[in-house]
Amino acid sequence: MKKELNAKTTSREKSEFIWGWLLILPTIIGLLILNIIPIFQTIYQSFFKTCDFGKGNIFVGFDNYSKMFQDQAVWQALWNTIRYAIVEVPISIILALILAVFLNRKMRGKTIYRTIFFLPMVAAPAAIAMVWRWLYNSEFGLINHIIGHKINWISNPDSAIYSIAVIGIWSIVGYNMVLFLAGLQEVPRDYYEAASIDGASGMHQFFNITVPLISPTIFFVAVTRVIGAFQVFDLIYMVMDKTNPALQKTQSLVYLFYRYSFTEANKGYGSAIIVLLLFVILFITIIQLIAQKKWVHYN
Amino acid sequence: MKVRKALSILLASVLTLGLMGCSDAPKQEASSDAAAETAEPAAEAEAAPAEDAGSGDKITVAIWDSNQQPGIQELLDDWSKESGIKAETQVINWNEYWTLLEAGASGGTLPDVFWMHSNQSQRYMENGLLLDLTDKIAASDKIDLSNYYEDITKLYESDGKIYALPKDIDTIALWYNKTMFDEAGVEYPNAEWTWDDFYEAAKKLTKDDGSQWGYAINTGNNQDSYYNMVYDYGGYIINDDKTKSGYDDPNTIKAMQFVEKMLREGLCPELEVISENGADVLFQSGKVAMVTQGSWMVAGFRDNEYTNKNCDVAVLPMGPDGKRVSIYNGLGWAAAANGKNTDAAWSLIEYLGTEAAQLKQAQLGVTMSAYKGTSDAWVNSVDCFNLKGHLDMLDAELVIRPYSRNTNVWEDMAIEKFKAAWTGEITMEEACKQVAESMNASLAEE
Repeated sequence: MKKELNAKTTSREKSEFIWGWLLILPTIIGLLILNIIPIFQTIYQSFFKTCDFGKGNIFVGFDNYSKMFQDQAVWQALWNTIRYAIVEVPISIILALILAVFLNRKMRGKTIYRTIFFLPMVAAPAAIAMVWRWLYNSEFGLINHIIGHKINWISNPDSAIYSIAVIGIWSIVGYNMVLFLAGLQEVPRDYYEAASIDGASGMHQFFNITVPLISPTIFFVAVTRVIGAFQVFDLIYMVMDKTNPALQKTQSLVYLFYRYSFTEANKGYGSAIIVLLLFVILFITIIQLIAQKKWVHYN
Repeated sequence: MKVRKALSILLASVLTLGLMGCSDAPKQEASSDAAAETAEPAAEAEAAPAEDAGSGDKITVAIWDSNQQPGIQELLDDWSKESGIKAETQVINWNEYWTLLEAGASGGTLPDVFWMHSNQSQRYMENGLLLDLTDKIAASDKIDLSNYYEDITKLYESDGKIYALPKDIDTIALWYNKTMFDEAGVEYPNAEWTWDDFYEAAKKLTKDDGSQWGYAINTGNNQDSYYNMVYDYGGYIINDDKTKSGYDDPNTIKAMQFVEKMLREGLCPELEVISENGADVLFQSGKVAMVTQGSWMVAGFRDNEYTNKNCDVAVLPMGPDGKRVSIYNGLGWAAAANGKNTDAAWSLIEYLGTEAAQLKQAQLGVTMSAYKGTSDAWVNSVDCFNLKGHLDMLDAELVIRPYSRNTNVWEDMAIEKFKAAWTGEITMEEACKQVAESMNASLAEE
């Protein structure tokens, strides 16, 4: 239709075009300055041996990268990050989905529950981490006090990362739930009515109607959460003291980047680590984009 | 309906609080956003002076110790009365302090006046980031460098120029819990104690049920823990040229094995407990009988009800040959070389260096002052402890806290590598050798 009326609407199209660009301009500028330019600067910097305060950097080619590939700590950190993501992402999505389905029904106090579950999202991450750190404390912590056992939640190298993941799940579940609730609003009621008449149980309805119909939302949440989980930093930074024996088995790639870049003032090496993270995230996201064709249903 | 309204108000207020909380901790977010890198911390640092641009004559003073903040602010207020310029302290905790300063230095927006530490001073001085005070000190009739402890003045000297004025001096001493000593019938620590006596006492003060330990070593801070023992045993950490590590010196290893023994025998809490709580918190909550702590902790222990009532302080024990060393250090007051108001910054630093201000710092119990002869005032500043323990450490053999150009790199490495020895995965001797090797490598790169 538009093409046929092309000649008549040029001026209108033109102004729409201009206004369109004008309206997204602030976002574009923000993205450019805060994200895109720094990405290239970081990649550029990863080829340098950086000197004090960014003065007199020396070009070293791939030295930082070859050092990184031999650095045991980097691979351990990558593995820690993956372990964190494997626990945090699926569990937070499944829990959020179940909560969303329950809170989408007609029930008393629905709003209160929604608010409560969403609350961790509005609290400052640093504050959350501090509270959990004391809950987990092996000597004085509330959790150990209640169960009456002395468990080193955050200083046992084998399990500390999972304790951190629990904090991550707790903080994010409400946010995921809100997204799923929005997705559930799109599902037409009559599907369920028809299914009930045919005698489908609640479980059947959930797996055969709800999940396929909100699969685009699940996909969106999965992609953004995987990226978020791979960038985990603040929880680990706040909960794990640098003397903690479990730190080596808990620190994420971003934590390691922070330590090298800022504590040890080796920004070139830190940049190389973050470029590695960039490619890992890119790779996983591409796989997710390919895999979605198998399970995501768009109407 | 009413409930819903109340809820939305609650939610809104929580949201605002959350936002405020976020702005308090923007650094974490900036760092987790890998790409943003230095952009945000720099902006943070910028925000501080930008706020002051309106009033024009306000000076920001950055420090990292909240225990000292009230006292420091009082000194600043005294200066403000004289100069008519407002000065405000900003407390940023140790780790973030250096991140912020580094970002500020790279972005050209340092605080006006700030604390300098020997771990970092070399890099800042060599890159011309600190205001050169040499001529100003020479021209001043209030400041004479010979009044301060020489080693501390030297920390902030580079190429014959002076970049910071000594603020304080610290010593390490042995803090002990009198109540626990009485209960166990152990004599209080005294000047005759060797580390072996210390070990015997710790043994008697440790309870088998895990409710009380004899000693807690602060594994995160070498200056107030094992460094002193290393030097007492005749070992060293770094040679004078800053080219070689002393961790593989036989005497150093002997001292470190002493610590290993205390941990293995359960006289110290295990590393998990120390790292989750910190030695000072364990001491303050009555879990351990002794800690070795720096004089900068006095204000904290004074304000803690438990330590105030139950604890006191004595000199550190001696090594096997009667050698008693205090690893000491002192901060310096520095200013930004490119600050907007360097005259006011210097005037403030000059004021803080005067005998009157240094004396007041001691009297307020903030810290021992770098100005010689003011320590007695500090000893009298609290009546709950006998601070002579700290003061007498000034008469012990003073060794300046080992440092090199990039101290953080090998200090953090040592903390990381020693963990395996604290937890018993490898022997202390092995850990010491690994640390020495790694430290030599990083010293070679400096």
